[in-house]
Amino acid sequence: MTRVFSNLALAIGAVFAFAAQAADQQVIKRGEYLARAADCMACHTAEGGAPYAGGLPIHSPFGTIYGTNITPDKQHGIGNYSDDEFFAALTEGKRKDGANLYPAMPYTSYHLIKREDADAIHAYLQSIAPINRAAPTTDLSFPFNVRTGLMGWNLLYGKSVQVQPAAGNSEAWQRGQYMVEVLGHCGECHTPRNLIGALEQDKRLSGGVLNGYLAPSLLAKDLAERGWTQPDLATFLKHGMSAQGSMFNEMYPVVHHSTQHLEDGDLSAMATYLLGDQPPAARVVQAVAHETMTASSQRGRQQYLNVCAGCHGADGEGKPHIAVAMKGNTILRQADSRNLVKVVLDGIREQQFTGFERMQPMPGFAGKLDDQQLTDMVNYLREAWGGLPGDLSTEQLAQLKVD
Amino acid sequence: MADRKLQLTLNGQPVVTEVVPDDLAMLDYLHEYQNLTGSRLGCGQGICHACVVIVDNPDGTCEEVRTCITGAHYFEGKKVRTIEGHAQLDDAGNPVALSPIQQKFVERFAFQCSYCAPGFVNAATVLVENAQRKPLKKSELEGAIEASLGHHVCRCTGYVRYYEATRDVLGDLGLVKEG
Ligand code: FES
Ligand code: FES
Repeated sequence: MTRVFSNLALAIGAVFAFAAQAADQQVIKRGEYLARAADCMACHTAEGGAPYAGGLPIHSPFGTIYGTNITPDKQHGIGNYSDDEFFAALTEGKRKDGANLYPAMPYTSYHLIKREDADAIHAYLQSIAPINRAAPTTDLSFPFNVRTGLMGWNLLYGKSVQVQPAAGNSEAWQRGQYMVEVLGHCGECHTPRNLIGALEQDKRLSGGVLNGYLAPSLLAKDLAERGWTQPDLATFLKHGMSAQGSMFNEMYPVVHHSTQHLEDGDLSAMATYLLGDQPPAARVVQAVAHETMTASSQRGRQQYLNVCAGCHGADGEGKPHIAVAMKGNTILRQADSRNLVKVVLDGIREQQFTGFERMQPMPGFAGKLDDQQLTDMVNYLREAWGGLPGDLSTEQLAQLKVD
Repeated sequence: MADRKLQLTLNGQPVVTEVVPDDLAMLDYLHEYQNLTGSRLGCGQGICHACVVIVDNPDGTCEEVRTCITGAHYFEGKKVRTIEGHAQLDDAGNPVALSPIQQKFVERFAFQCSYCAPGFVNAATVLVENAQRKPLKKSELEGAIEASLGHHVCRCTGYVRYYEATRDVLGDLGLVKEG
Protein backbone atom coordinates (compact mmCIF):
# COMPACT_ATOMS: atom_id res chain seq x y z
CA MET A 1 0.00 0.00 0.00
CA THR A 2 2.75 2.43 0.98
CA ARG A 3 4.40 1.67 -2.29
CA VAL A 4 1.26 2.56 -4.19
CA PHE A 5 1.10 5.89 -2.38
CA SER A 6 4.70 6.72 -2.96
CA ASN A 7 4.33 5.88 -6.65
CA LEU A 8 1.28 8.09 -6.80
CA ALA A 9 3.15 10.92 -5.08
CA LEU A 10 5.97 10.55 -7.58
CA ALA A 11 3.54 10.63 -10.47
CA ILE A 12 1.80 13.73 -9.12
CA GLY A 13 5.18 15.36 -8.55
CA ALA A 14 6.11 14.65 -12.14
CA VAL A 15 2.85 16.15 -13.39
CA PHE A 16 3.51 19.31 -11.38
CA ALA A 17 7.08 19.52 -12.59
CA PHE A 18 5.85 19.07 -16.14
CA ALA A 19 3.16 21.70 -15.66
CA ALA A 20 5.70 24.12 -14.18
CA GLN A 21 8.01 23.52 -17.10
CA ALA A 22 5.18 24.10 -19.56
CA ALA A 23 4.31 27.31 -17.71
CA ASP A 24 7.97 28.38 -17.92
CA GLN A 25 7.91 27.66 -21.63
CA GLN A 26 4.84 29.81 -21.97
CA VAL A 27 6.48 32.70 -20.11
CA ILE A 28 9.55 32.36 -22.29
CA LYS A 29 7.41 32.42 -25.44
CA ARG A 30 5.61 35.49 -24.21
CA GLY A 31 8.94 37.07 -23.34
CA GLU A 32 10.22 36.38 -26.83
CA TYR A 33 7.19 38.12 -28.30
CA LEU A 34 7.57 41.07 -25.94
CA ALA A 35 11.27 41.36 -26.76
CA ARG A 36 10.24 41.60 -30.42
CA ALA A 37 7.66 44.26 -29.58
CA ALA A 38 10.30 46.18 -27.59
CA ASP A 39 12.74 45.68 -30.49
CA CYS A 40 15.64 44.78 -28.20
CA MET A 41 17.38 43.13 -31.11
CA ALA A 42 17.79 46.22 -33.27
CA CYS A 43 20.36 47.74 -30.91
CA HIS A 44 21.65 44.66 -29.12
CA THR A 45 22.67 42.76 -32.28
CA ALA A 46 25.46 43.85 -34.60
CA GLU A 47 24.91 43.48 -38.31
CA GLY A 48 25.61 39.82 -39.05
CA GLY A 49 26.39 39.19 -35.38
CA ALA A 50 24.96 36.68 -32.91
CA PRO A 51 21.47 37.61 -31.70
CA TYR A 52 21.49 39.85 -28.63
CA ALA A 53 25.29 39.68 -28.27
CA GLY A 54 25.60 43.44 -28.70
CA GLY A 55 28.04 45.44 -30.77
CA LEU A 56 25.78 47.60 -32.91
CA PRO A 57 27.20 51.13 -33.02
CA ILE A 58 24.56 53.73 -32.22
CA HIS A 59 25.69 57.12 -33.42
CA SER A 60 24.61 60.05 -31.30
CA PRO A 61 25.61 63.71 -31.33
CA PHE A 62 27.67 62.93 -28.21
CA GLY A 63 29.65 60.02 -29.62
CA THR A 64 29.17 56.35 -30.41
CA ILE A 65 27.35 54.09 -28.00
CA TYR A 66 27.48 50.34 -28.51
CA GLY A 67 24.56 48.01 -27.87
CA THR A 68 25.56 45.69 -25.03
CA ASN A 69 25.59 41.91 -24.84
CA ILE A 70 22.28 40.84 -23.25
CA THR A 71 22.70 37.10 -23.68
CA PRO A 72 22.87 35.11 -20.42
CA ASP A 73 26.67 34.96 -20.52
CA LYS A 74 27.89 35.55 -16.96
CA GLN A 75 31.04 37.41 -17.91
CA HIS A 76 29.94 39.72 -20.71
CA GLY A 77 26.18 39.37 -20.73
CA ILE A 78 23.43 39.61 -18.16
CA GLY A 79 23.66 36.04 -16.82
CA ASN A 80 24.08 37.33 -13.25
CA TYR A 81 21.08 39.63 -13.26
CA SER A 82 18.14 38.86 -10.99
CA ASP A 83 14.62 39.75 -12.11
CA ASP A 84 14.80 42.87 -9.92
CA GLU A 85 18.12 43.95 -11.39
CA PHE A 86 16.84 43.35 -14.91
CA PHE A 87 13.75 45.41 -14.14
CA ALA A 88 15.91 48.25 -12.81
CA ALA A 89 18.06 48.19 -15.95
CA LEU A 90 14.98 48.22 -18.17
CA THR A 91 12.98 50.87 -16.37
CA GLU A 92 15.57 53.07 -14.66
CA GLY A 93 18.67 52.57 -16.78
CA LYS A 94 20.58 51.12 -13.81
CA ARG A 95 23.28 48.54 -14.40
CA LYS A 96 23.73 45.70 -11.91
CA ASP A 97 26.82 47.45 -10.55
CA GLY A 98 24.78 50.60 -10.00
CA ALA A 99 26.24 52.56 -12.90
CA ASN A 100 23.90 54.50 -15.14
CA LEU A 101 23.18 53.25 -18.64
CA TYR A 102 23.20 55.83 -21.39
CA PRO A 103 19.71 56.82 -22.46
CA ALA A 104 20.32 55.26 -25.86
CA MET A 105 18.70 52.51 -23.80
CA PRO A 106 15.12 53.77 -23.97
CA TYR A 107 14.31 53.44 -20.28
CA THR A 108 12.62 56.81 -20.67
CA SER A 109 9.89 54.81 -22.43
CA TYR A 110 10.39 51.41 -20.80
CA HIS A 111 9.86 52.82 -17.32
CA LEU A 112 6.18 52.08 -17.89
CA ILE A 113 6.71 48.41 -18.78
CA LYS A 114 4.53 46.13 -16.70
CA ARG A 115 6.52 44.11 -14.20
CA GLU A 116 5.22 40.76 -15.49
CA ASP A 117 6.23 41.76 -19.02
CA ALA A 118 9.74 42.68 -17.89
CA ASP A 119 10.04 39.35 -16.07
CA ALA A 120 8.90 37.48 -19.17
CA ILE A 121 11.47 39.28 -21.35
CA HIS A 122 14.10 38.42 -18.76
CA ALA A 123 13.03 34.76 -18.71
CA TYR A 124 13.31 34.69 -22.50
CA LEU A 125 16.76 36.32 -22.56
CA GLN A 126 17.96 33.83 -19.93
CA SER A 127 16.82 30.98 -22.19
CA ILE A 128 18.86 31.94 -25.26
CA ALA A 129 22.42 30.84 -26.01
CA PRO A 130 25.02 32.73 -23.96
CA ILE A 131 27.65 34.42 -26.09
CA ASN A 132 30.99 34.92 -24.39
CA ARG A 133 32.02 38.08 -26.18
CA ALA A 134 32.44 41.62 -25.00
CA ALA A 135 30.71 44.36 -26.98
CA PRO A 136 32.99 47.26 -27.99
CA THR A 137 33.35 49.96 -25.37
CA THR A 138 31.21 53.02 -25.74
CA ASP A 139 33.19 56.04 -26.74
CA LEU A 140 31.72 59.40 -25.78
CA SER A 141 33.35 62.77 -25.48
CA PHE A 142 33.67 64.60 -22.16
CA PRO A 143 31.48 65.30 -20.21
CA PHE A 144 29.14 62.68 -21.63
CA ASN A 145 31.61 59.91 -20.81
CA VAL A 146 31.03 60.45 -17.09
CA ARG A 147 28.14 58.18 -16.27
CA THR A 148 27.43 59.79 -12.90
CA GLY A 149 26.60 62.94 -14.81
CA LEU A 150 23.44 61.14 -15.85
CA MET A 151 22.00 61.34 -12.34
CA GLY A 152 20.67 64.83 -12.88
CA TRP A 153 19.55 64.00 -16.40
CA ASN A 154 17.64 61.02 -15.08
CA LEU A 155 15.95 63.08 -12.38
CA LEU A 156 14.74 65.50 -15.02
CA TYR A 157 14.04 63.23 -17.94
CA GLY A 158 14.31 59.58 -16.83
CA LYS A 159 10.57 59.12 -16.76
CA SER A 160 9.77 61.57 -19.50
CA VAL A 161 7.37 59.44 -21.50
CA GLN A 162 3.95 59.44 -19.88
CA VAL A 163 0.85 57.74 -21.19
CA GLN A 164 -2.48 59.43 -21.60
CA PRO A 165 -5.45 58.35 -19.48
CA ALA A 166 -7.30 55.37 -20.90
CA ALA A 167 -10.71 56.84 -20.15
CA GLY A 168 -12.95 57.25 -23.17
CA ASN A 169 -10.68 55.28 -25.46
CA SER A 170 -11.25 51.80 -26.86
CA GLU A 171 -9.41 48.75 -25.63
CA ALA A 172 -7.51 48.59 -28.91
CA TRP A 173 -6.42 52.21 -28.41
CA GLN A 174 -5.16 51.41 -24.91
CA ARG A 175 -3.27 48.34 -26.07
CA GLY A 176 -1.91 50.39 -28.96
CA GLN A 177 -0.70 53.07 -26.60
CA TYR A 178 1.28 50.51 -24.60
CA MET A 179 2.70 48.98 -27.79
CA VAL A 180 3.63 52.34 -29.34
CA GLU A 181 4.69 54.47 -26.38
CA VAL A 182 6.18 51.90 -24.04
CA LEU A 183 7.28 48.67 -25.73
CA GLY A 184 7.77 50.03 -29.24
CA HIS A 185 9.35 53.20 -27.83
CA CYS A 186 8.46 54.93 -31.13
CA GLY A 187 8.76 58.33 -29.49
CA GLU A 188 12.48 57.85 -28.91
CA CYS A 189 12.99 58.72 -32.58
CA HIS A 190 9.72 60.36 -33.59
CA THR A 191 9.86 63.00 -30.84
CA PRO A 192 12.35 65.87 -31.14
CA ARG A 193 15.17 66.08 -28.61
CA ASN A 194 16.61 69.12 -26.89
CA LEU A 195 20.28 70.10 -26.80
CA ILE A 196 21.15 67.60 -24.10
CA GLY A 197 19.40 64.77 -25.85
CA ALA A 198 16.17 64.68 -23.86
CA LEU A 199 12.79 64.19 -25.49
CA GLU A 200 10.73 67.36 -25.80
CA GLN A 201 7.53 66.11 -24.32
CA ASP A 202 5.42 69.03 -25.42
CA LYS A 203 6.23 68.06 -29.00
CA ARG A 204 5.51 64.41 -28.45
CA LEU A 205 5.57 62.26 -31.64
CA SER A 206 5.68 65.35 -33.81
CA GLY A 207 8.83 64.15 -35.56
CA GLY A 208 12.55 64.17 -34.78
CA VAL A 209 15.74 64.32 -36.79
CA LEU A 210 18.04 61.35 -36.54
CA ASN A 211 21.39 61.19 -38.32
CA GLY A 212 20.23 63.66 -40.91
CA TYR A 213 16.92 61.93 -41.65
CA LEU A 214 13.53 62.93 -40.34
CA ALA A 215 11.59 60.41 -38.27
CA PRO A 216 8.33 61.98 -39.39
CA SER A 217 5.45 63.13 -37.26
CA LEU A 218 3.14 60.37 -36.08
CA LEU A 219 0.41 62.74 -34.97
CA ALA A 220 -2.96 61.66 -36.35
CA LYS A 221 -3.54 64.84 -38.34
CA ASP A 222 -0.11 64.63 -39.94
CA LEU A 223 -0.44 60.93 -40.75
CA ALA A 224 -3.81 61.58 -42.41
CA GLU A 225 -2.34 64.53 -44.30
CA ARG A 226 0.29 62.16 -45.68
CA GLY A 227 -2.33 59.66 -46.78
CA TRP A 228 -2.35 57.13 -43.97
CA THR A 229 -5.34 55.03 -42.96
CA GLN A 230 -5.41 52.53 -40.11
CA PRO A 231 -5.37 49.43 -42.35
CA ASP A 232 -2.49 50.84 -44.40
CA LEU A 233 -0.51 51.67 -41.29
CA ALA A 234 -1.00 48.14 -39.94
CA THR A 235 0.05 46.68 -43.31
CA PHE A 236 3.10 48.93 -43.35
CA LEU A 237 4.16 47.69 -39.92
CA LYS A 238 3.51 44.06 -40.84
CA HIS A 239 5.21 44.01 -44.25
CA GLY A 240 7.42 47.09 -44.29
CA MET A 241 5.47 48.22 -47.35
CA SER A 242 2.11 49.57 -48.26
CA ALA A 243 0.61 51.82 -50.90
CA GLN A 244 2.51 54.65 -49.18
CA GLY A 245 5.92 53.17 -49.95
CA SER A 246 8.49 51.03 -48.17
CA MET A 247 10.47 51.35 -44.97
CA PHE A 248 14.05 52.50 -45.31
CA ASN A 249 16.83 54.00 -43.23
CA GLU A 250 16.32 53.49 -39.48
CA MET A 251 12.82 52.01 -39.92
CA TYR A 252 14.06 49.13 -42.03
CA PRO A 253 15.60 47.23 -39.09
CA VAL A 254 12.43 47.93 -37.14
CA VAL A 255 10.22 45.95 -39.51
CA HIS A 256 12.94 43.37 -39.84
CA HIS A 257 13.50 42.66 -36.16
CA SER A 258 10.27 43.78 -34.63
CA THR A 259 6.99 44.72 -36.26
CA GLN A 260 6.75 41.93 -38.84
CA HIS A 261 6.70 39.46 -35.94
CA LEU A 262 3.80 41.10 -34.14
CA GLU A 263 0.25 39.78 -34.10
CA ASP A 264 -2.25 41.43 -36.41
CA GLY A 265 -4.35 42.49 -33.42
CA ASP A 266 -1.42 44.36 -31.91
CA LEU A 267 -0.53 46.02 -35.20
CA SER A 268 -4.02 47.26 -35.76
CA ALA A 269 -4.08 48.42 -32.12
CA MET A 270 -0.96 50.48 -32.84
CA ALA A 271 -2.64 51.97 -35.90
CA THR A 272 -5.75 52.67 -33.84
CA TYR A 273 -3.73 54.46 -31.20
CA LEU A 274 -1.77 56.53 -33.70
CA LEU A 275 -4.74 57.61 -35.81
CA GLY A 276 -7.22 57.63 -32.93
CA ASP A 277 -10.54 55.87 -32.39
CA GLN A 278 -12.08 58.39 -34.77
CA PRO A 279 -9.35 58.67 -37.41
CA PRO A 280 -9.22 61.79 -39.57
CA ALA A 281 -9.86 61.12 -43.28
CA ALA A 282 -6.72 60.44 -45.26
CA ARG A 283 -6.04 63.24 -47.71
CA VAL A 284 -6.25 62.31 -51.37
CA VAL A 285 -3.79 64.10 -53.64
CA GLN A 286 -5.34 65.56 -56.78
CA ALA A 287 -3.44 65.31 -60.05
CA VAL A 288 -1.80 68.58 -61.09
CA ALA A 289 -1.62 69.61 -64.74
CA HIS A 290 1.96 70.00 -65.94
CA GLU A 291 1.32 73.53 -67.25
CA THR A 292 0.17 74.75 -63.86
CA MET A 293 3.32 73.61 -62.06
CA THR A 294 6.12 75.99 -61.10
CA ALA A 295 8.85 76.51 -63.67
CA SER A 296 11.20 74.54 -61.46
CA SER A 297 8.83 71.57 -61.28
CA GLN A 298 8.27 71.67 -65.02
CA ARG A 299 12.01 71.42 -65.59
CA GLY A 300 12.17 68.76 -62.89
CA ARG A 301 9.95 66.43 -64.90
CA GLN A 302 12.79 65.90 -67.36
CA GLN A 303 15.23 65.19 -64.51
CA TYR A 304 12.73 62.69 -63.17
CA LEU A 305 12.44 61.00 -66.56
CA ASN A 306 16.22 60.97 -66.89
CA VAL A 307 17.18 59.27 -63.65
CA CYS A 308 14.06 58.02 -61.81
CA ALA A 309 11.50 56.87 -64.34
CA GLY A 310 13.55 53.83 -65.40
CA CYS A 311 12.45 52.17 -62.16
CA HIS A 312 9.69 54.33 -60.68
CA GLY A 313 7.82 54.64 -64.00
CA ALA A 314 7.18 57.65 -66.20
CA ASP A 315 3.86 58.18 -64.44
CA GLY A 316 5.18 57.36 -60.98
CA GLU A 317 3.49 53.98 -61.02
CA GLY A 318 6.57 52.08 -59.78
CA LYS A 319 7.56 48.54 -60.76
CA PRO A 320 6.51 45.61 -58.62
CA HIS A 321 9.43 44.07 -56.70
CA ILE A 322 11.84 46.65 -58.12
CA ALA A 323 10.91 50.13 -57.00
CA VAL A 324 7.97 51.61 -55.13
CA ALA A 325 5.41 53.89 -56.74
CA MET A 326 5.87 57.62 -56.41
CA LYS A 327 2.15 58.14 -56.79
CA GLY A 328 0.81 57.99 -53.25
CA ASN A 329 4.27 57.79 -51.70
CA THR A 330 4.33 59.28 -48.24
CA ILE A 331 7.86 60.75 -48.39
CA LEU A 332 6.84 63.07 -51.19
CA ARG A 333 4.06 64.29 -48.96
CA GLN A 334 6.25 65.46 -46.08
CA ALA A 335 6.17 69.25 -46.15
CA ASP A 336 9.82 69.19 -45.05
CA SER A 337 11.73 67.81 -48.06
CA ARG A 338 14.59 66.55 -45.93
CA ASN A 339 14.00 62.83 -46.42
CA LEU A 340 13.26 63.17 -50.10
CA VAL A 341 16.50 65.06 -50.65
CA LYS A 342 18.55 62.68 -48.49
CA VAL A 343 17.20 59.59 -50.14
CA VAL A 344 17.86 60.97 -53.61
CA LEU A 345 21.43 61.78 -52.58
CA ASP A 346 22.21 58.62 -50.59
CA GLY A 347 20.11 55.98 -52.34
CA ILE A 348 18.80 52.92 -50.52
CA ARG A 349 20.39 49.54 -50.12
CA GLU A 350 18.70 46.46 -51.55
CA GLN A 351 15.93 45.47 -49.18
CA GLN A 352 14.10 42.29 -48.32
CA PHE A 353 10.62 42.37 -46.97
CA THR A 354 8.22 39.69 -45.84
CA GLY A 355 7.59 36.65 -48.02
CA PHE A 356 9.34 36.94 -51.35
CA GLU A 357 9.03 40.70 -51.52
CA ARG A 358 12.20 42.55 -52.43
CA MET A 359 13.13 46.04 -53.52
CA GLN A 360 16.22 46.62 -55.58
CA PRO A 361 18.93 49.01 -54.49
CA MET A 362 18.31 52.61 -55.38
CA PRO A 363 21.42 54.45 -56.59
CA GLY A 364 22.34 57.69 -54.83
CA PHE A 365 22.66 60.76 -57.00
CA ALA A 366 25.08 62.80 -54.92
CA GLY A 367 27.54 64.29 -57.39
CA LYS A 368 25.50 63.14 -60.39
CA LEU A 369 23.06 66.04 -60.52
CA ASP A 370 23.82 69.66 -59.67
CA ASP A 371 21.83 71.61 -57.10
CA GLN A 372 19.53 73.17 -59.68
CA GLN A 373 18.72 69.80 -61.23
CA LEU A 374 18.13 68.25 -57.81
CA THR A 375 15.92 71.12 -56.70
CA ASP A 376 13.87 70.91 -59.88
CA MET A 377 13.44 67.19 -59.50
CA VAL A 378 12.39 67.41 -55.87
CA ASN A 379 9.93 70.16 -56.72
CA TYR A 380 8.44 68.04 -59.47
CA LEU A 381 8.00 65.10 -57.10
CA ARG A 382 6.40 67.32 -54.47
CA GLU A 383 4.00 68.88 -56.89
CA ALA A 384 3.16 65.92 -59.12
CA TRP A 385 2.41 63.37 -56.41
CA GLY A 386 2.95 65.02 -53.06
CA GLY A 387 0.12 67.53 -53.06
CA LEU A 388 2.71 70.13 -52.06
CA PRO A 389 3.94 73.32 -53.70
CA GLY A 390 7.03 73.05 -55.88
CA ASP A 391 8.71 75.87 -54.03
CA LEU A 392 11.97 74.45 -52.68
CA SER A 393 14.85 76.81 -53.44
CA THR A 394 18.37 75.81 -54.35
CA GLU A 395 19.52 77.50 -51.11
CA GLN A 396 17.18 75.34 -49.05
CA LEU A 397 18.36 72.28 -50.92
CA ALA A 398 22.01 73.18 -50.32
CA GLN A 399 21.23 73.54 -46.62
CA LEU A 400 19.51 70.15 -46.47
CA LYS A 401 22.51 68.58 -48.18
CA VAL A 402 24.88 69.57 -45.41
CA ASP A 403 22.48 69.14 -42.47
CA MET B 1 4.88 62.71 -73.57
CA ALA B 2 6.98 65.23 -75.36
CA ASP B 3 9.87 65.05 -77.74
CA ARG B 4 13.00 67.09 -77.60
CA LYS B 5 16.32 67.46 -79.31
CA LEU B 6 19.33 65.57 -78.00
CA GLN B 7 22.96 66.52 -78.55
CA LEU B 8 25.89 64.57 -77.25
CA THR B 9 29.27 63.20 -78.20
CA LEU B 10 29.18 59.53 -79.06
CA ASN B 11 32.46 57.67 -79.43
CA GLY B 12 34.19 60.94 -80.23
CA GLN B 13 31.63 62.11 -82.80
CA PRO B 14 29.21 64.95 -82.13
CA VAL B 15 25.68 63.69 -82.62
CA VAL B 16 22.43 65.63 -82.88
CA THR B 17 19.04 63.92 -82.98
CA GLU B 18 16.18 66.33 -83.49
CA VAL B 19 13.35 64.26 -82.11
CA VAL B 20 13.85 62.04 -79.10
CA PRO B 21 10.95 61.16 -76.76
CA ASP B 22 11.54 62.67 -73.34
CA ASP B 23 11.19 59.32 -71.59
CA LEU B 24 13.31 57.19 -73.94
CA ALA B 25 15.89 55.01 -72.19
CA MET B 26 19.47 55.58 -73.33
CA LEU B 27 19.80 51.91 -74.23
CA ASP B 28 16.89 52.23 -76.67
CA TYR B 29 18.36 55.41 -78.06
CA LEU B 30 21.66 53.65 -78.76
CA HIS B 31 19.97 50.63 -80.31
CA GLU B 32 17.16 52.27 -82.24
CA TYR B 33 18.44 55.72 -83.13
CA GLN B 34 22.18 55.14 -83.46
CA ASN B 35 22.29 51.51 -84.53
CA LEU B 36 24.84 50.88 -81.78
CA THR B 37 23.56 47.51 -80.69
CA GLY B 38 26.61 46.36 -78.72
CA SER B 39 25.32 47.59 -75.34
CA ARG B 40 23.28 44.75 -73.93
CA LEU B 41 19.91 44.67 -72.27
CA GLY B 42 20.15 42.16 -69.44
CA CYS B 43 17.90 42.77 -66.49
CA GLY B 44 16.59 46.15 -67.60
CA GLN B 45 16.41 47.21 -63.99
CA GLY B 46 19.84 48.38 -63.00
CA ILE B 47 21.28 45.20 -61.54
CA CYS B 48 23.39 43.27 -64.06
CA HIS B 49 25.34 46.19 -65.57
CA ALA B 50 25.43 44.60 -69.03
CA CYS B 51 24.16 47.89 -70.44
CA VAL B 52 26.76 50.31 -69.06
CA VAL B 53 28.46 52.95 -71.18
CA ILE B 54 31.38 55.20 -70.27
CA VAL B 55 30.83 58.88 -69.60
CA ASP B 56 33.90 61.14 -69.77
CA ASN B 57 33.59 63.86 -67.16
CA PRO B 58 34.86 67.42 -67.66
CA ASP B 59 37.40 66.91 -64.84
CA GLY B 60 39.14 64.19 -66.81
CA THR B 61 37.77 61.25 -64.87
CA CYS B 62 35.36 58.78 -66.38
CA GLU B 63 32.59 56.59 -65.01
CA GLU B 64 30.18 53.90 -66.07
CA VAL B 65 26.46 54.66 -66.30
CA ARG B 66 23.64 52.14 -66.69
CA THR B 67 21.68 52.89 -69.84
CA CYS B 68 18.66 50.69 -69.12
CA ILE B 69 17.51 52.85 -66.21
CA THR B 70 18.86 56.18 -67.39
CA GLY B 71 17.02 58.34 -69.89
CA ALA B 72 18.68 59.41 -73.13
CA HIS B 73 18.31 63.08 -72.20
CA TYR B 74 20.44 62.59 -69.09
CA PHE B 75 23.34 62.42 -71.56
CA GLU B 76 22.58 65.80 -73.09
CA GLY B 77 25.91 67.53 -73.71
CA LYS B 78 27.89 64.61 -72.27
CA LYS B 79 30.73 62.62 -73.81
CA VAL B 80 29.72 58.98 -74.10
CA ARG B 81 31.66 55.93 -75.16
CA THR B 82 30.05 52.60 -75.97
CA ILE B 83 31.58 49.18 -76.59
CA GLU B 84 31.81 50.11 -80.28
CA GLY B 85 34.27 52.87 -79.40
CA HIS B 86 37.15 50.78 -78.00
CA ALA B 87 38.88 49.02 -80.88
CA GLN B 88 40.93 50.85 -83.49
CA LEU B 89 39.20 50.82 -86.85
CA ASP B 90 40.54 51.14 -90.36
CA ASP B 91 39.06 53.55 -92.86
CA ALA B 92 36.44 51.00 -93.85
CA GLY B 93 35.34 50.76 -90.23
CA ASN B 94 36.76 47.29 -89.61
CA PRO B 95 38.56 46.65 -86.33
CA VAL B 96 42.33 46.42 -86.68
CA ALA B 97 43.43 46.40 -83.03
CA LEU B 98 41.59 45.72 -79.82
CA SER B 99 41.98 47.87 -76.73
CA PRO B 100 44.32 46.42 -74.05
CA ILE B 101 41.35 45.29 -71.95
CA GLN B 102 39.56 43.71 -74.90
CA GLN B 103 42.75 41.99 -76.00
CA LYS B 104 43.44 40.58 -72.56
CA PHE B 105 39.85 39.41 -72.08
CA VAL B 106 40.24 37.41 -75.32
CA GLU B 107 43.63 35.99 -74.34
CA ARG B 108 42.34 34.99 -70.94
CA PHE B 109 39.12 33.47 -72.34
CA ALA B 110 37.31 35.70 -69.88
CA PHE B 111 33.90 35.48 -71.54
CA GLN B 112 32.00 32.59 -73.06
CA CYS B 113 28.62 33.63 -74.43
CA SER B 114 29.84 37.26 -74.22
CA TYR B 115 26.50 38.71 -73.21
CA CYS B 116 28.04 40.50 -70.25
CA ALA B 117 31.29 41.39 -72.03
CA PRO B 118 30.44 44.94 -73.19
CA GLY B 119 29.64 45.87 -69.62
CA PHE B 120 32.81 44.29 -68.27
CA VAL B 121 34.96 45.91 -70.98
CA ASN B 122 33.56 49.34 -70.16
CA ALA B 123 33.90 48.87 -66.39
CA ALA B 124 37.47 47.56 -66.60
CA THR B 125 38.40 50.36 -69.03
CA VAL B 126 37.10 52.94 -66.56
CA LEU B 127 39.28 51.37 -63.88
CA VAL B 128 42.36 51.35 -66.10
CA GLU B 129 41.88 54.91 -67.33
CA ASN B 130 41.28 56.28 -63.86
CA ALA B 131 44.41 54.41 -62.71
CA GLN B 132 46.30 56.13 -65.52
CA ARG B 133 45.46 59.43 -63.86
CA LYS B 134 46.08 58.14 -60.35
CA PRO B 135 48.02 54.87 -60.12
CA LEU B 136 46.82 52.26 -57.64
CA LYS B 137 48.79 51.03 -54.67
CA LYS B 138 49.35 47.32 -54.62
CA SER B 139 47.39 47.07 -51.40
CA GLU B 140 44.39 48.76 -53.06
CA LEU B 141 44.44 46.63 -56.18
CA GLU B 142 42.02 43.84 -55.27
CA GLY B 143 39.60 46.22 -53.64
CA ALA B 144 39.65 48.49 -56.68
CA ILE B 145 38.95 45.61 -59.06
CA GLU B 146 36.12 44.39 -56.85
CA ALA B 147 34.67 47.88 -56.64
CA SER B 148 34.75 48.21 -60.43
CA LEU B 149 33.65 44.75 -61.56
CA GLY B 150 31.98 43.29 -58.48
CA HIS B 151 28.47 44.42 -59.38
CA HIS B 152 28.67 43.13 -62.95
CA VAL B 153 26.83 39.86 -63.47
CA CYS B 154 28.21 37.10 -65.70
CA ARG B 155 25.90 34.10 -65.93
CA CYS B 156 28.67 32.06 -67.55
CA THR B 157 30.61 32.83 -64.35
CA GLY B 158 33.73 34.18 -66.00
CA TYR B 159 34.50 36.30 -62.96
CA VAL B 160 37.91 34.87 -62.06
CA ARG B 161 39.21 35.34 -65.58
CA TYR B 162 37.80 38.83 -65.90
CA TYR B 163 39.56 39.72 -62.67
CA GLU B 164 42.83 38.09 -63.73
CA ALA B 165 42.80 39.83 -67.09
CA THR B 166 42.10 43.21 -65.50
CA ARG B 167 44.90 42.65 -62.96
CA ASP B 168 47.25 41.77 -65.84
CA VAL B 169 46.44 44.91 -67.83
CA LEU B 170 46.89 47.16 -64.81
CA GLY B 171 50.25 45.49 -64.11
CA ASP B 172 51.42 45.50 -67.76
CA LEU B 173 50.70 49.20 -68.08
CA GLY B 174 52.65 49.92 -64.88
CA LEU B 175 49.63 51.28 -63.06
CA VAL B 176 50.21 49.42 -59.80
CA LYS B 177 52.75 50.92 -57.43
CA GLU B 178 54.35 49.37 -54.37
CA GLY B 179 52.61 50.15 -51.12
S1 FES C 1 20.44 45.81 -68.29
FE1 FES C 1 21.06 47.61 -67.32
S2 FES C 1 21.74 46.91 -65.44
FE2 FES C 1 20.95 45.09 -66.31
S1 FES D 1 30.12 35.40 -70.71
FE1 FES D 1 28.08 34.73 -70.71
S2 FES D 1 27.21 36.07 -69.30
FE2 FES D 1 29.25 36.51 -69.07
